Amino acid sequence: MVEPITFVDPTGRGGPIELTTFTVAKDLPDHDQRAGKIPEPDPHYVDLGMLYKLAAIEEVRRSGLVETPLHVALRGHMGTGKDHDLEQFAAMLRLPYYRIPLTGEVRDITLIGSVKLFGDGRGGTESRWQDGDITRALRGPGLINLSELNAAGAETLFALHALLDRYRALDLPTGETVHLRDDTRVFGTLNPTDLRDYAGTQTLNKAFADRWIIWEKAFPEVGQIEAMLTRRYPKLGAPFVTTMARLAIEVNESFTSADARTRVGTPMSLRTILDRIPAGLRMYAADADPLRRAWEEFVLTHIDPFDTDHYETVWSAVARRGPEGPPFGK
Amino acid sequence: MRSRDEALLTEILPPEERAVEAVVARYQRVAPAVTRFARSLADDDALRVRLGSRTQAEPGEIVMDPGVFQAAYARRAPVTPSEVALASALHEVIHLVATNFEERRPLPREWFPDIDDPIPEDPVALLDALDKAGGPAAEAMFLAVEDARQEAQNLDVYPGARSVLGDLYRAAVPGAIGRARPMGQFALCCFLAVGGYQDVDTLQSSSTERHVAAALEEARVLIDDARHASGPWETAAIALGLLSVARLHGLLTEASARETRPETDARQEEDRNRIDEGVDAVRMITPILRDAESYDATKRATQAVVAERGAKSDVDQAGDPSTDQILRVSEGPDVYLPTGQSGRLIVSEIPERFARFAPDGRDAIAEAARRWQVAQRHISGELYPLFVANQRRGLRSGYDAGDLSPYSALFLGAGLFERMFERRSLPTRRAYAVSLLVDGSASMLQPRPLPGGVKAPWAMAAATLGAWTLARLCDELQVEFEVALFNRAFASRVDDTERSYIDRLNATRGSLRRTQGGAADRLTRTVNHYLVKSFDQRWVAAEPTLAGLFWTAAKPTEAATAARRDATGSPPVSMFEKAANVDELNVSHAAERLGTRHSQVRMLVVLADGMTRGSVETLAASVDAVEHSGTTVLGIGIGDATVEAAYSRSQVCARPEALTRAMIEGVRSALRKSIALSGGDTWWAHQSLLYDEGTRSERTPRSMNG
Repeated sequence: MVEPITFVDPTGRGGPIELTTFTVAKDLPDHDQRAGKIPEPDPHYVDLGMLYKLAAIEEVRRSGLVETPLHVALRGHMGTGKDHDLEQFAAMLRLPYYRIPLTGEVRDITLIGSVKLFGDGRGGTESRWQDGDITRALRGPGLINLSELNAAGAETLFALHALLDRYRALDLPTGETVHLRDDTRVFGTLNPTDLRDYAGTQTLNKAFADRWIIWEKAFPEVGQIEAMLTRRYPKLGAPFVTTMARLAIEVNESFTSADARTRVGTPMSLRTILDRIPAGLRMYAADADPLRRAWEEFVLTHIDPFDTDHYETVWSAVARRGPEGPPFGK
Repeated sequence: MRSRDEALLTEILPPEERAVEAVVARYQRVAPAVTRFARSLADDDALRVRLGSRTQAEPGEIVMDPGVFQAAYARRAPVTPSEVALASALHEVIHLVATNFEERRPLPREWFPDIDDPIPEDPVALLDALDKAGGPAAEAMFLAVEDARQEAQNLDVYPGARSVLGDLYRAAVPGAIGRARPMGQFALCCFLAVGGYQDVDTLQSSSTERHVAAALEEARVLIDDARHASGPWETAAIALGLLSVARLHGLLTEASARETRPETDARQEEDRNRIDEGVDAVRMITPILRDAESYDATKRATQAVVAERGAKSDVDQAGDPSTDQILRVSEGPDVYLPTGQSGRLIVSEIPERFARFAPDGRDAIAEAARRWQVAQRHISGELYPLFVANQRRGLRSGYDAGDLSPYSALFLGAGLFERMFERRSLPTRRAYAVSLLVDGSASMLQPRPLPGGVKAPWAMAAATLGAWTLARLCDELQVEFEVALFNRAFASRVDDTERSYIDRLNATRGSLRRTQGGAADRLTRTVNHYLVKSFDQRWVAAEPTLAGLFWTAAKPTEAATAARRDATGSPPVSMFEKAANVDELNVSHAAERLGTRHSQVRMLVVLADGMTRGSVETLAASVDAVEHSGTTVLGIGIGDATVEAAYSRSQVCARPEALTRAMIEGVRSALRKSIALSGGDTWWAHQSLLYDEGTRSERTPRSMNG
C-alpha cells in the first residue's frame, strides 16, 4: 500500500519533502523473498542531512525533470554511516534493499549472470542461465547499493555502463534485456582513494564515475554524535556522551589531517563510538574509570602501534580521566 | 587531602628525567598531536610548530623553547610526566597562537576618567595605551587576566589538558597566597577565577586578607566579563576596572600629593612587582605574556633573525644548533643496564666522507698486513668447508647424498643431474652473527710503544686492520657481521665534513652554553655509537669507509693535515676526541642489536684501551648479562688490563700483530666451538680455547656486581 512519508531537513534550512512509498507487487515471482528484504527503520538512526538530501534527489527524479536516471554514490571514510543512510532510505521508501559488495574478485558474470550446468534428473546435465546479483535485484522494485564501488576492476564495471546511462538496461547473453524499472534505484558507496590503507581500492574509471553523482559523507560533528548517542542510549550520562563525542571528533580530525606527520592511520568509526565503546562502558561499569577501560579495550586495540601516542595524547587532552559514576546510571 | 593514588610529580620524576633532553623526548611523543591541535586552534593547516632556543610567534610558524616546558616539571602537583608534556606544550601553543596585541585603536576615553583634556585620537598599540592609562601595574594586571582568558576560551575543547593545568596551578596556590602581598593575592585570585580554575567563593575563603576578599566580591562581574571578553582590548578595559577595584580597597600603593616623577615610577614598578610575584608563582609563564618587553621580543624575534641573515633559508627553518643538538640527544635510545642505571646513546652511521681516504687506506692495509703478518686471502682456512652449508642455502647435493628431490623432474629437464638427489644440510648449519665494537676515542690514535723503543699510533690501526680482516673472514663464511665505533665527544653526522663538523660543534657549544648553562657540556659531549658496517649492509659497500678509517687511524697526522688543507671535502677527523668512554652502554646496545638478528651463534668482540667512564663493576655486570643472553663476549684490551676484570673471556695485547691475531683467532675459535657444540665432534673443536678460558673456568663464577 502506498503511503506518504515526510523527510525533514535536520538543519532546518529546507522545507519538508513529501514522497510516497513503493510497493512490491504480489504477482512478482520472488515476492516473498523481495518483501523480506525491506529493511526495518532503525529507531536509533539520526539523519545528519543525508537522508533529506537523498529524498530531495528522489523528488527530482520523480518530477521527470531529468531524462537520464540519477544515481548517487556516497564517498566517505570508514565508519561514517554511508551504507546505513542508504539502508534507512530504503526502509523509509519501503524498497527491498540489495547490498552488493564489489570486491576485487567480483567479475561481470558474478554481477550479471552466467550459464551454469544443472543436473537434469536423469543422470545427465543441462545448461541453464542463472541471474547474477544485479540482474536478480533488477527484476523487481529495490534499492541496490553497490558498496565499495572502487574496489572492483574497471573492466568489471564496464558491464554496468549501459544500465547506468540513458540506455537503462542490461543486455544478457541470452538475448534478454533487463530494463531498469521505475521503482528500482541504484546507489553506491566508496571509500576515498588516497594514501590511507583502504586495501583493494583504486581510482574510479572516469567514464564509470561520470555515470554517478558523487556526494561526500564527512565524519559527524560533536553535536551529531551526541545526538546519536543520546538517542541510542538515553540513560548514558551526559559527561560520558560529551567526552566520547569529543574524543571521536579530535581523532577524526587528526585522521583527516593533510599532513602525514600529524595524522593517525585509523579513524574512530561510528561503529566504535556507537557500539563498541558503549559495550565497554556496560562491561566495565563497576570499574574505577569505565571510559578509560573501554578506551583501552575497544579503541586502542584497533589502531596501529605507531598511532598509540597520538591517540593517547588525544585522550589526555580531551579526557585525561573518564567521567565519574556508573555510565548508565544506577 | 590528596588520595593515595595521586603521586606528586616531583616524587615520581627523578632529576635526570627533568633534564632538557628528557623533557624534549617526552614532548616529541605528543608533538604530532599538539601540532594538529595548534593547527585547529589557529585555523591554519600549514602552521609550523617547532622547538627552538627562542620563543617566536609569527603567522605560519610558532617556535617553542623547551626550557619553558622544563619549568613545569619542577611542580609539586598530582600529575604525570606525560600529562605535563602535553599540557605544557598545549599551553604554550595556545598563547603563541592566540596572543596578538598588534591591533591599533584610538585611546578609549573611559580609560582616562581623571583627565578632562581631549585624548589624542591617533590609533595606538594596546600595550602603549595601557601604559598611558595605568602604567606598569595596568600592563601586569592585563597580562594576567589575558593569560587566563586565553586559557579559558581556547582550552575548553581540551578539558583534559585544562584539568592538568588546573592541578598544576592549584597545587601552587596555598604557597603563593601565603607569600604574596594583598595586591598579589588579588591579582592571583583574578587570574584563577577568570581562568575557571577556582571560583570566587573558594578563593575568598582561601585568601588570608580580609580586604582582598571584599575586593574579589566587588570584582565578580568584571571577572565574569573577562571570561567572555571578545579580545585583548576588551580584556584590557576589564583589567583597568579590576585595578580600580583594587585601588578602592587599598590594595594598590596610594600616590602622595607631592610625589616626584622618579617616586611615581618606583611606586608603579612596586605595584607591578606585587602583581607579578602573586601571579607568576602559580601560572606557567609563557614568554609572550611575561611582560611588554618579552612580548615584543617574541613577536619580533623572527624578524630580527631574518634581518640578521637576510632571507629565510633552510637553516632558519630547520632550527638553531642548540635545539638541533637537544633534539638529537633526546631521540637517542635509552640503554638500561642490569645494575639499574641507564644512559642515552647517539647512534648514527660513520661519516661517509671517510671513503675519500679509501685508496690510501687500501695501500696502508696491505702494508700493515705484511708488516704484522696478517693474512688477507682465504682467512677462513679450515673453517670454509665447515661453513659451506651457509653458501648453499641449506641444501647439500650430489648423487646418492639423500632423498630424491621433489624437483627432480625439473632438474632432469634442465640437465642438472647432480641435484636430483639432495638432502638438508648437516646439522652444523646455523645462523651466525659477529659484532665488533671498537673504542673510538682519540687515545686510540695516540703513539704507543713498539718493540725497539719506538712509538707509533698503532692501536686504532691494528683494530681497524683486525676489523677489516674479520669482515673478510665473515664475508667468506657468509656470516652476518657488523663493525661499530664508540666514543664520547660531539656526535658527527653521516654527511659531515671536517668544516661542517667543526662549525656545528662551535655553534652548538656556544648556543648551548647560552641557553642551557651547566648542561651544555653534557649535551655536547655525548656517548656515540657509530655504525661503520651494519648487518644489513653489504661488505663491498662498507669497504671504502673502513679503508678510509684505517688510513685515518694509521696516519693520524697526515689525515689531520689533509683535513686542514681541504676542510670542506675531508671527513671529520676531529670527531675523535680524547674523553673517557662509557663502554657498558655500548656493549649493551651492540648486544641488543645482535639479539635482534635471531642468530643461533652470536659473538661480540670489544676492543678498548682503558677504563670505562662508568665503573668496571657495571661493565662486568653488563658483560655478564650479555653472556647470559647467549652471546659470547670477547674483551680485548690494548695495553690495558681493565678487560681482565670486566670480561670473562679477555686478552690484553701490547703489540699490533698480537691485537689483530687476538681478534681473528678469537672469532675463529668461537666459531669452531660453536660447531662442536652443535654436533660437529672433531678434535680441533675440542682443542679450541677462547683466550684464558682454560684458567678462568677454574675460578669461582663472578657475581653480577663483579
